[in-house]
Amino acid sequence: MNNSFLRISIWVYLAIFFLYLLGPLVIMSITAFNSSEFPRMTPWECLTFQWFGELMQDQRILNGIKNSLIIGAGTVVLSVAMGLAGALLLTQIWPKLRATYYTIIIAPILIPGVVLGISTLVFWDRINRMLGLGADSFLSNGIFLTVIGQSTFIASYCMLVLVARLQRYDVALTEAALDLGASHAQAFRKILLPFMRPAIASAAVLAFLASFENYNTTTFTFGGYPTLTIELAQKVRYGITPAISALAFIIVALTVFFALLNEAKLKRQELVAAARKKATVEELAGKIKLPSFFAGNMAAVLLVVFAIATITVVGTATAYNPGQCIANVKEQKRLEAEERIQELRRQREERRKQNEAEQGGATQSAPKPSNNSGFGNVFAPNTLGGDEGTDEGEEGSNNDTQPSNNSGFGGAFDPNSLQND
Amino acid sequence: MPQFLKEFFNRNGTGMGLAILGLVLFWTIGLIILPQLSMLDFSFRPNLPPPEIGGPKDVYTLENYKYLIYGPEGGGQDYNVVDLKVFFRTLLAAVCVTIFNLILCYPIAYYLGQNKGNHIRIFAIMLIIPYWINEILRAFALRIIFGETGVLNTLFVGLGIWDTPFDFIRNDIALYAGLGYAYILLMIFPMYNVIESLDKNQIEAARDLGAPWWRIHWRVVIPYAKPGISSGCTMVFMLSAGALAAPQILGGPSSLWFTQLIYQQFNDNNDWPQGAAYAIVLLVTCILFVLAMMRLFKVNMGDIGK
Repeated sequence: MNNSFLRISIWVYLAIFFLYLLGPLVIMSITAFNSSEFPRMTPWECLTFQWFGELMQDQRILNGIKNSLIIGAGTVVLSVAMGLAGALLLTQIWPKLRATYYTIIIAPILIPGVVLGISTLVFWDRINRMLGLGADSFLSNGIFLTVIGQSTFIASYCMLVLVARLQRYDVALTEAALDLGASHAQAFRKILLPFMRPAIASAAVLAFLASFENYNTTTFTFGGYPTLTIELAQKVRYGITPAISALAFIIVALTVFFALLNEAKLKRQELVAAARKKATVEELAGKIKLPSFFAGNMAAVLLVVFAIATITVVGTATAYNPGQCIANVKEQKRLEAEERIQELRRQREERRKQNEAEQGGATQSAPKPSNNSGFGNVFAPNTLGGDEGTDEGEEGSNNDTQPSNNSGFGGAFDPNSLQND
Repeated sequence: MPQFLKEFFNRNGTGMGLAILGLVLFWTIGLIILPQLSMLDFSFRPNLPPPEIGGPKDVYTLENYKYLIYGPEGGGQDYNVVDLKVFFRTLLAAVCVTIFNLILCYPIAYYLGQNKGNHIRIFAIMLIIPYWINEILRAFALRIIFGETGVLNTLFVGLGIWDTPFDFIRNDIALYAGLGYAYILLMIFPMYNVIESLDKNQIEAARDLGAPWWRIHWRVVIPYAKPGISSGCTMVFMLSAGALAAPQILGGPSSLWFTQLIYQQFNDNNDWPQGAAYAIVLLVTCILFVLAMMRLFKVNMGDIGK
């Protein structure tokens, strides 16, 4: 009884936790397909792919991607090299220095990114001045500074990944190679490097992703080369559109794809290894029966489902045209706006009548109301036309505040019309 | 040449040894130590136009630090209330985010660490995926949810729980949720690594001896997981105190984060020494705070980062 209660509460907790973790990403992805000008899920207007097209035409985003790729490549090379050197030295360093050395090379992980960016900027600016170079020299170039600034802490991540594998390396292998007449460089290239390759690959992937998504450090160092993250931050801060959701959807899809691919590969290796272990000598001689790719490999199945879903979506996107639906929604919005205006007009009319009644009750003001009403009649169609225009304009540019705008609009409209009267 | 250097070159060969040493020295001295020292030096200098740098006016001064405490000279106030308030609020909020994350992540880390099987691997993937999505995009996703016409407001107003939309952004709820969201993985992984190595027999022994579940956690699991908990907390605290993207995107118009002040000094006021001084204050305070907490909870420095 108690036990099953605990179990249920654990599952509920897990559900809430993953809802918090994944829910925002799912919702953001869905907003990429809504034709509403502001990224949102409700009210759902039309299924559309226009935001992807808009994204592809955004020069700043494309330029940002290009800069991000260049900087990412530079950071990967520099930080994997420094991380490997740092890891090699860590395994050999004089024991008394070891703790200090470790603290120094692990510190950049804990230093706030803002501080790293500022210190890189200040330091290289000073070096630049010392060397008497101008403001457009290599040392104050945005790409150089960003690579340097990011590598400072990304190399620490790489070092941690590499040192974990290096600790399992048998130094006797290198010694054997040296005894057999290899040079140090040869031993490094032919023995140690192949052993380290998986760790180097994961360190490189990690470094690239960390560089690609870095904001805090880059925001101080990018100079004239804004990366994708910088461009995104600018866009998000000054007005958001579903085109950003579209980009997010692409990134989410790619991440899920590669995560599943990696997992399927790992699982497959495990299954193959298990099958090898069970196999007899004869089977090992050549005709080992490997389990089929999908057997017991959930990730692989998911991967295939994911691929099919992607193809379907892309296929629909090319054939699908939401024009009719968008026109319908526009028409509906127009009708709603008109209705609202009618309502306002009616209210105003009532108020006018009330006024008239009040003023009619009062003596001495008989000619005024008739004059007033005549003016109001002429004026009404004009205001209507103007209002329709501004209303639509607001709908287009400022959809996020629409519901509150409604009441605000009505509120603003009323006193205005009264004053006009 | 000292003995250990000779040994080092014997072992790696001259060429390889020089390459390793060169890279490590470039990293540690050229990228880590010298820039920090240079920033420290810079923070004690007045803000001068480039031609005057190195001139007679370029002397050491405490002006930039005084500014943080006392504000501009003749500003009419005894203390720089605005900036100091932002500073302490940032630290306090970072502590709150850390505690929130610890409470949220501990059960997950325990569950993942003590169970094995396929579903655990799926959970691990689900944990890692959000972490590879851009920081900006994650903040953006939360903004869609917490916005005035966002999912939550639509839901609650639609259900009739609230009459008017609740302004999550102005009330900083979006900011705290975003900061917590950003660093979940950094809290879970260190804890998970430690709890995974905990011998299940210890828990069973405690259970056999009649301990209720909360006492098992209090007396067995938490003491064992202390290094993981402390490195997770340290990372989350340092990163949320130094966060810039989440406050910029999710912060309300009236609430500033201390890093935003630094950013303003650099980009809007163009006062680099002032910005450097603020950055030094942030860095030193955070380090001192973490060291104090470690002393308080009796954690060794060597346990961090394991």
